Amino acid sequence: MGKVKDKIGNGLCHVYLIILSVIALFPLVWVILSSVKSDGELTSDPTRFLPKSFTFDNFIHVIDDLKFATNIGNSLIIALATTIIAIVISCMSAYGIVRFFPRLGNIMSKALVATYLFPPILLAIPYSLVMATLGLTNTRLGLVIVYLSFSVPYAVWMLVGFFKTVPIGIEEAARVDGANKFTCFIKIVLPLVAPGIVATGIYTFINAWNEFLYALILINNTKKMTVAVALRSLSGAEILDWGDMMAASVLVVIPSIIFFFIIQNKITGGLSEGSVK
Amino acid sequence: MKRKVKFDYARWVFVLPALVVVGTLLVYPIFSSLYYSMTTKHLIKPAYKFIGLANYKAVLTDANFFKAFLASILWTVGSLIGQIFIGFTTALAINRVKVAKGVYRTLMIIPWAFPSIVIALSWKWILNGVSGFLPNLLVQLGICSTLPQFLSDSSMVFVTLILINIWFGAPMIMVNVLSALQTIPRDQYEAAQIDGASRFQQFHHITVPHIKVVVGLLVVLRTIWIFNNFDLIYLITGGGPAQLTQTVPIYAYNMGWGTKLLGKSSAVTILLLLFLLLISLVYFGIIAKWEKEDK
Repeated sequence: MGKVKDKIGNGLCHVYLIILSVIALFPLVWVILSSVKSDGELTSDPTRFLPKSFTFDNFIHVIDDLKFATNIGNSLIIALATTIIAIVISCMSAYGIVRFFPRLGNIMSKALVATYLFPPILLAIPYSLVMATLGLTNTRLGLVIVYLSFSVPYAVWMLVGFFKTVPIGIEEAARVDGANKFTCFIKIVLPLVAPGIVATGIYTFINAWNEFLYALILINNTKKMTVAVALRSLSGAEILDWGDMMAASVLVVIPSIIFFFIIQNKITGGLSEGSVK
Repeated sequence: MKRKVKFDYARWVFVLPALVVVGTLLVYPIFSSLYYSMTTKHLIKPAYKFIGLANYKAVLTDANFFKAFLASILWTVGSLIGQIFIGFTTALAINRVKVAKGVYRTLMIIPWAFPSIVIALSWKWILNGVSGFLPNLLVQLGICSTLPQFLSDSSMVFVTLILINIWFGAPMIMVNVLSALQTIPRDQYEAAQIDGASRFQQFHHITVPHIKVVVGLLVVLRTIWIFNNFDLIYLITGGGPAQLTQTVPIYAYNMGWGTKLLGKSSAVTILLLLFLLLISLVYFGIIAKWEKEDK
């Protein structure tokens, strides 16, 4: 009896998971399919699944006429710069917290998590005023600085977990051999945590690439816009060309998804590990 | 071996850059907003003066602020319950099945990677009231007689937004609950089965106590995130139709960048922060109690 019941239970689980997987996947599939259909087909046959004929016109139009490549370039530069700066700062402080501030460290990382409370819309007001004063409105540098506000606390929090796994014995041996704190950090600790740093870096990159609010407030020059804001301003047009919108969406979402798949096994345990301690 | 009694500056060098970031980009702006919230600061006009608590008074007597606050509560509670329910049940289901675990997990994680602008565009296109896939499908199947207007019909728009947010947020809950489930030692379940415990009893006495704290933390983080969220609603409905979906962050944005009253907008955001602070204190009180019970 128990066996049969178990099998039915398992079957129901599969049915439930299949339905939800389809719902999870559908928008991505639909965006991709819509991006390669002709404009006529999009409106004449809204429920037809596969395109009658493939076309890359939408992509060509988006890149050639709408200059979307410039926006992709902006987003790439901003996300990369944010990631590199945030990771350098965060590695140092995560290591510092774990090694040199055994008691204060817990308070420090809790204070970092507390910054999660701060409403982005609250921070946006002083950011826009300060950036205007510094002349950094409509610059990529201004946006990179602002992006550190969310990427550094999160990266430190993730990295503290990884640095905790490095046994202190290895470092002590090196210190006895005469290495100072910095050599020890760079030559011995960093290589051991490299996989964790890469995962944290990728996560930071995705968040910067996906960010919208600060980019909306600080950038209004089309040439300096990130992909998110450029897409938003394109979609504000009177007559919306959905084919173009979907092609641009594909270009924005695919990098995020690829990166996400790469790190999907690293971002799992964040919360549970953090809470076990 | 005795430590040298010399001031150890090196350790401060490690944490200094992060402290500078937190100080200039997070602590300073809070005080700056607090100050501006008591002034007539304008987005463009340079001159402004100190007016004490007048902005707070104006905001707290504005009927639209309370409408926005109620919209925020509805948005947060609705999304949170849905995300927790879907995230939790899928995690339990994936934990239970024996084949294709990884496939399900990978497929279901996809919405989490979506940038907010693509969430908005893809769903606006799927739900489009003229050429959208879903409205046309519902008509073709005979479920609806006319094309349903999910995003402009005032009776459907809020539910639609919440469902989109559940679609986006459930994967994060699923991933975290799943990894918490996998830390539970198998032998506890085996022992319970030998003792003849039912599946529900096992869930109640083994699963729940093990993952309670993780789920509690998730609820806190998600509550804050959803309450603060600006992008999704702004990009999908812009707060419309007729300000029906205008939550507090959108109300603050419209005040600061629409009517350009940054001082008043700051007062709204400070009130938002105070409310979130209060909520988190309550939550953390509960979680701390759970942790004590465990020990």
